[in-house]
Amino acid sequence: MFSTSSQREFWTFSDESVLALHREKHNIGFITKHGQHIDENQRYNFFLSPEEERLLLRNYELHLKEFCRRFQPPMPKGVTGTAFQYFKRFYLYNSTMDYHPKEILATCVYLACKVEEFNVSISQFVANIKGDREKASDIILNNELLLMQQLNYHLTIHNPFRPVEGFLIDIKTRCSLSNPERLRTGIDEFLEKVFLTDACLLYAPSQIALAAVLHAASKEQENLDSYVTDMLFKDAGSDKLAVLIEAVRKIRSMVKMVEGPARERVRAIDKKLDRCRNQENNPDSDIYKQRMREALMDDDITYTGTSRMSLDTSGVTQVLSPSAS
Amino acid sequence: MDKDVLSYSVLGRIGEGAHGLVFKARHLPTGREVALKKILIKNLEDGIPINVMREIKSLQLMRCKYIIKLYDMFPSGMSLVLVLEYMCSGLWKMLRHSPQELTLPRVKSYTQMLLKGTQYMHAHYVMHRDLKPANLLINHEGILKIADLGLARLYWPDGGRPYSHQVATRSSQRICNSTASKTKICFLVYKCDLCRWYRAPELLYGARYYTEKVDIWAVGCIIAEMITKKPLFAGESDIEQLAIVLQHLGTPTEETWPRHCELPDYNKITFPESPPMSWTDILPGVEPDAIHLVKSFILYDEKRRIPAKQALHHPWFRSRPFPTPLSEMPKPTGKISS
Repeated sequence: MFSTSSQREFWTFSDESVLALHREKHNIGFITKHGQHIDENQRYNFFLSPEEERLLLRNYELHLKEFCRRFQPPMPKGVTGTAFQYFKRFYLYNSTMDYHPKEILATCVYLACKVEEFNVSISQFVANIKGDREKASDIILNNELLLMQQLNYHLTIHNPFRPVEGFLIDIKTRCSLSNPERLRTGIDEFLEKVFLTDACLLYAPSQIALAAVLHAASKEQENLDSYVTDMLFKDAGSDKLAVLIEAVRKIRSMVKMVEGPARERVRAIDKKLDRCRNQENNPDSDIYKQRMREALMDDDITYTGTSRMSLDTSGVTQVLSPSAS
Repeated sequence: MDKDVLSYSVLGRIGEGAHGLVFKARHLPTGREVALKKILIKNLEDGIPINVMREIKSLQLMRCKYIIKLYDMFPSGMSLVLVLEYMCSGLWKMLRHSPQELTLPRVKSYTQMLLKGTQYMHAHYVMHRDLKPANLLINHEGILKIADLGLARLYWPDGGRPYSHQVATRSSQRICNSTASKTKICFLVYKCDLCRWYRAPELLYGARYYTEKVDIWAVGCIIAEMITKKPLFAGESDIEQLAIVLQHLGTPTEETWPRHCELPDYNKITFPESPPMSWTDILPGVEPDAIHLVKSFILYDEKRRIPAKQALHHPWFRSRPFPTPLSEMPKPTGKISS
C-alpha cells in the first residue's frame, strides 16, 4: 500500500525546490571536496554546475528509456518505472561527478529487474549492452550494493500502472464513457513522458495515474471531470478535491514541458565530466583497479572492522552506453 | 541506527544460510541481541540473489509480532549484512530435541501465533511459500515467529503473472550447483527434503498459478506434526511425496479437486486409484476438534482451505485444554542441546 510505504514516507517531496536543494547540496559538496586546488571563481570552469548536472541526467533518462524499450526479452512496464525511480532517487543524494550516470543507469535497470521479478541473468542482461560485456557486468555487479545502500534499501516501488488499471475498471463500471480502452494509447504516451519529469518524486502514483487518464480523455475529446468530482471525490470534501486538481494540473504541465536537452550541449558536458569525475570511481582508472584487486583479495570479513573496505565502487566507460547514441 | 559493522560485537556463529553465515551479535549502542545474516556477494554470478531481494522486500513490509523483524542492513566488504531479530530457538529444534515440551496447550498456543503471523502476511499480499518447522523460530519470551522469507513474494489477488512452481526444491538446487563443497550440497539436499513435506499438492503437480493457500496447506502439516510429533506426509522424493498425499486423501476427483487434470505435470505420472483414508486413521488418537481443524487446511481444493483468519476462530482454541498463556510458554535459552 502506498499510504504506508517508504516511498511516501521518504521519497515523496513537498515541492520542486526541495529537490533542487538536495541536488545543489551534493553538487557543492563534491566541488568543495575535490576542488580545493582551484580558485573559487574558476571552479565551474572545471566542474559541472547544478544546471549542467540536470541536463546531463535528463539526457541519460532518455537513454534509460530507450534502453528499456529495446531490451530483450521485452520487459514489463513496471521494471522501467522502477528503474527510473531508482535513478532519480540515486541522484538526489549523489553527484554525477562522483558516479557516472552511464554506470548507475544500467545498475538501476538490473536491480529493477530483480525487484520486479523479471528474472534475467547477468549475461542475458549485458547482451543488451554494446561494447565490452564482461566489463559491463563487472561494473553493474560492483555497483549493485552501492545502489541499494543509496536507496536506503527501499526497494519496493509503487508505479502508476496499477492505479491506471484500477481507474479503467472503475470507469468501465461507473461511467457512461464509451469504450474506455481507447484511452490506453494516450495514457501510455503520457506515462512514458512522466518518467522524464520529477513527478514521481512529488506525487502519489494514483495522482499520476489519474493525470494520465484525464489527459488521455481530453485527447479523445472526452471529459471525465464529473467522474472525478461526482464519483471519486463525492464524499471527500472540497479541500481534498482542490489538492487533487492542483496535483493533476501540475503533473500535466510538467509532462507538457518535457523536452530533450540540446545534443551539442550534452556532448560538451559529457566531455567536461570525463575530466572532472571522481577517478576513484572510474573503472578505467588505476586507483579503481587497485582497489578492486584489494577487495577480491580480502577474503573474509573478520568483524573487527579492520578489513572493511569501501563499497563506493562504481565507475565506468562507454561500454555502458546503451544502444541509443 | 548506526549502519556499521563496528557498532556490533559478534558473540558467535549460529548457523549457515544458503548464501553465507549467520552470527549472533550485540548491537552496542542499544545492547540488543541480533542475528547478523551475512550474504557474500563476491562469488555469486548474478550479484545479490533474488531470494535475498525478496526477503528484504517482504520483511520491510511486515510489522507483526509473529514475523521476524529486519532491523537494518549494511554493506560490509563484498557482503551485505542483514540485521535481524535474534531468535534463540525454533520449532524444528523443539520437535527434534525436546518434543515432550510440546504439550497440547502449548501446541495450541504456537498454532495461534503461527496463524496470526500467516494471517498478517496474507493480509499484506505476501505468500511465504516455504513454511516449515525450520522457519518457525522462537525467541527468549517464547514467542513463535515466521522467518526466512527468502521465497516469499508479493501476489495480487487477481492472479496475474504465473509464478515459478519451482518453489523451494529447485531454487535450492541452483544453489547446490553453484556451491563447490560436496558437504554443503548434501546439507542443502537434506534441507530440500524437509521442505517438500509441507508442499501443497498443486505445487507438486507443477502449478504455475497458485495462491497464498499453499501456505495454508503447510500450516496444516505443521499443526499435525506438532500434535503427533511426526511429519504428516514425509516423502523422500517429489513423486513419493505426491504418492503419499494421494494415498491419504484418496485419488483426486473433479469434485474434491476441480480442474486438477489441467495441472502441468498431472499427465506425467499416474498413481493407483485409492479411496481416501479416514482422518482418525491418519491421525490416530487425536481429538476430534484438532482433526477437524487440520482437515480444514489439508484439502486438495485450495479454495476450500480455511483462511488463517477464520482458522483462529476454530473451537479447538476454545476447548479444554486451553492454549497456554504466553507467560507460561517455554522460554528457550539458546543452549544447543544436541
